[in-house]
Amino acid sequence: MARLRRTKSKLKSTRAKDRKRPVSKARVAAAKREEKQELLGTYETAVVKAKFFTPEPQRPARRVMEELPAGYNEDKIILQVRDPWWLHAYWELRQETMDGLRRRLGDAFHAARMVLRVYDVSYIIFNGSNANSFFDIEINPDANSWYIDTKGPGRSWCVDLGLRLANGKFITIVRSNTVHTPIEGPSWVTDEEWMVPDDIFAKLYGMGFGLGQSSPVGKAWQERAKKALFSGALSSGASPVKKPLKEKKFWLVVNTELIVYGATEPDAKVTVQGRPVELRPDGTFTLRFALPDGKQVIAVKAAAAGKDEERVITPVINKETR
Amino acid sequence: MPKTYQGYLAIVLHSHLPYVRHPDYEDFLEEDWFYEAVTETYIPLIDALARLINDKVDFRITIGLSPTLVAMFLDPLLQSRYLNHINKLIELAHKEVERTRWQPEFHHLAVMYLNNFYRARETFRRYGGNLAQPFKDFQDLGKVEIVTCGATHGYLPLLEVMRPSVRAQVKVAADHYEKTFGRRPRGIWLPECGYYPGYDEILKEAGIKYFFSDAHGVLHATPRPKYGVFAPIYCKSGVACFARDLESAKQVWSSIEGYPGDYNYREFYRDIGFDLDYEYIKPYIHPDGIRINTGIKYYRITGSEHKQPYSPHLAREKAAEHAGNFMFNREKQIEHLAGFLQRKPIIVSPYDAELYGHWWYEGVMWLELLLRKIYFDQKTIRTITPSEYLTENPRNQVSTPSLSSWGWKGYSEMWLQGPNDWIYRHLHKASERMTELVKSFPSAEGLLRRALNQALRELLLAQSSDWAFIMATGTHVPYAVKRTKDHLLRFTRLFEDIKSNYIDENWLADIEYRDNIFPDIDYRVHQ
Repeated sequence: MARLRRTKSKLKSTRAKDRKRPVSKARVAAAKREEKQELLGTYETAVVKAKFFTPEPQRPARRVMEELPAGYNEDKIILQVRDPWWLHAYWELRQETMDGLRRRLGDAFHAARMVLRVYDVSYIIFNGSNANSFFDIEINPDANSWYIDTKGPGRSWCVDLGLRLANGKFITIVRSNTVHTPIEGPSWVTDEEWMVPDDIFAKLYGMGFGLGQSSPVGKAWQERAKKALFSGALSSGASPVKKPLKEKKFWLVVNTELIVYGATEPDAKVTVQGRPVELRPDGTFTLRFALPDGKQVIAVKAAAAGKDEERVITPVINKETR
Repeated sequence: MPKTYQGYLAIVLHSHLPYVRHPDYEDFLEEDWFYEAVTETYIPLIDALARLINDKVDFRITIGLSPTLVAMFLDPLLQSRYLNHINKLIELAHKEVERTRWQPEFHHLAVMYLNNFYRARETFRRYGGNLAQPFKDFQDLGKVEIVTCGATHGYLPLLEVMRPSVRAQVKVAADHYEKTFGRRPRGIWLPECGYYPGYDEILKEAGIKYFFSDAHGVLHATPRPKYGVFAPIYCKSGVACFARDLESAKQVWSSIEGYPGDYNYREFYRDIGFDLDYEYIKPYIHPDGIRINTGIKYYRITGSEHKQPYSPHLAREKAAEHAGNFMFNREKQIEHLAGFLQRKPIIVSPYDAELYGHWWYEGVMWLELLLRKIYFDQKTIRTITPSEYLTENPRNQVSTPSLSSWGWKGYSEMWLQGPNDWIYRHLHKASERMTELVKSFPSAEGLLRRALNQALRELLLAQSSDWAFIMATGTHVPYAVKRTKDHLLRFTRLFEDIKSNYIDENWLADIEYRDNIFPDIDYRVHQ
């Protein structure tokens, strides 16, 4: 019986389970493969995610969005490759098609099971009856897509959506396109002109996956990247003051700033602690300083334009934190 | 610079952002992705390359510019909005210089940002706001090779059932490239390195000579590749495939060598947009009051909760050390490989450009230092572009790469999982309809032609892999869903209008104005 999963099931939590194999040797191989897979693309995904690091605005819907249709009123099944082991199929069937079958089959229709028949069509031209092998997946009648575990990389696949009657007879309703899954490992095909000894290739293969001698892979960084990717740490969170990256315990931050503001003749020259200040057209000015602990002597000087006249006011601030 | 080198290093930076441009909103938050990357990645990169050229450092680097990004570089509205954006930052940096007067540990950083922002504006103005121009100049000088990408960065292996869309992604990109850079693209960065056997034929039709795959794309090629990832292979079409070297990839990320995670580097997550008093920062964040990154960040990673102030001096020393470390390791790698390959190996090191500067603040500096060091300090490796490599090494093994991507787990799962698999039913249907339209109207003119061209624009925009990616990672999901649906709905309406021979010209003009990408698109490429 094929292992299968419904589209809407929780992907992340079930992933590890899906890969389990009954035989322990195969399970070890699968675990190794997973480890290699976990490496692939993790950093790249983390970086791409960081490109979209802006908070999410809360936008009220301006108008009711037109919706995409649930289907396009046709009988169709499309097969796609997810990876060397898994396929994804989506389909739709017209109501008339189902009604027609119901009429044709009578009582047999109600005893029938909706089934995905998965054909291994590697290296053949499939005519409907010459598949290398096939297996069936019983599906819920209301499903419209499915992830299919083929258990065998490097094969060609075709899927029929159909009814399996109580007497075992199978009725195809729609047939999918054919897809080819990639191999998961080096090819067994070698090339005379470009022959490479097995030991050399094994070495190159390991190096190609970055398992060479000159730079050991930092496990800790991998962990960080992985964590960032799936904890939502690279996302910004809805609350604007929430600090990303860390789920902290209860916390408090206090900072102080000082606002110095004043007014003089609009054409006067003002300096604060010796540095010039730009006045607004009405002669007012505002400055804002981060205020660290300690004493600040803030000499504010205004010199009148064209006259030898000036005023100085010097607030003195002592700040301490207890 | 004839030196006795033993192998090659091809550094590849892939730059891409989805087309985000909302003329009907004064301030649209997702446009910040572009403005931030301009200030933090693209302009610093342009400045660094210009310095290298100015200092007569001979170097080669390959830069992928996705057509959506190039289209944003060329867009007058986004250009003027970027100027507003940088002017606001300059204003804020001025205030910061004042505000930090009594905090010497931050004051010099405020001055640094102020100078950076002024410099960014100066660079931006120097090229008349068109940042594709400097890249073209560098390419014309022979230092940089610009490669194209899918027109809107559609993830091609999941369009396999609709090959006309794969062809359209490639052809629209190649034509847009030619118009922008004055020649056909020699190479392509397939979106997310997504390759499905046979796509090389489509690349060949577009005149493209090579593409990149992730390591396993070549390691699992049939027949077995004699040189592993250290030489390209030719597909049966004659198009070459260069594989990514994962050792150098990991080095940039390794915690042991400590590249972007080094404690002396700048902390990405401590931004004054989040740290400072609301009333003060309000004019510089989103008008709705949502706090955003300003790009002004005062702390270094530190390695503990209590962050230390950033020290540009220490960070620069670290970047130099890391550049030296990277070069040393490549030399060792090349020496080791040359010893048993009996051929000069090529190490292909591709990265997301936005890693540099945006995520890893010191990354651009690191890259510049690396290219300088490689030129001045060693004789083992030479930087090269894939084109040059193929000219010097035209004889390569023929083999078919395996289906692969550089995404999570190495295949298509990132873009095909619970949160995003619903889109393919609609994307494929729209592709099928587009093909039907092209067949029905092989040579449309006037209003009909405009409608058909716009239909292809909407289809391509819906295909951006970014939307599926965002749905899977869980941030900005409503936006990604809306973009997918909006473009599909606009496509559907165009399809129905065209079929019923009733095109609403006012509405068409409106969506031509909103989704104005690829002005010279020809709908007939979708076949």
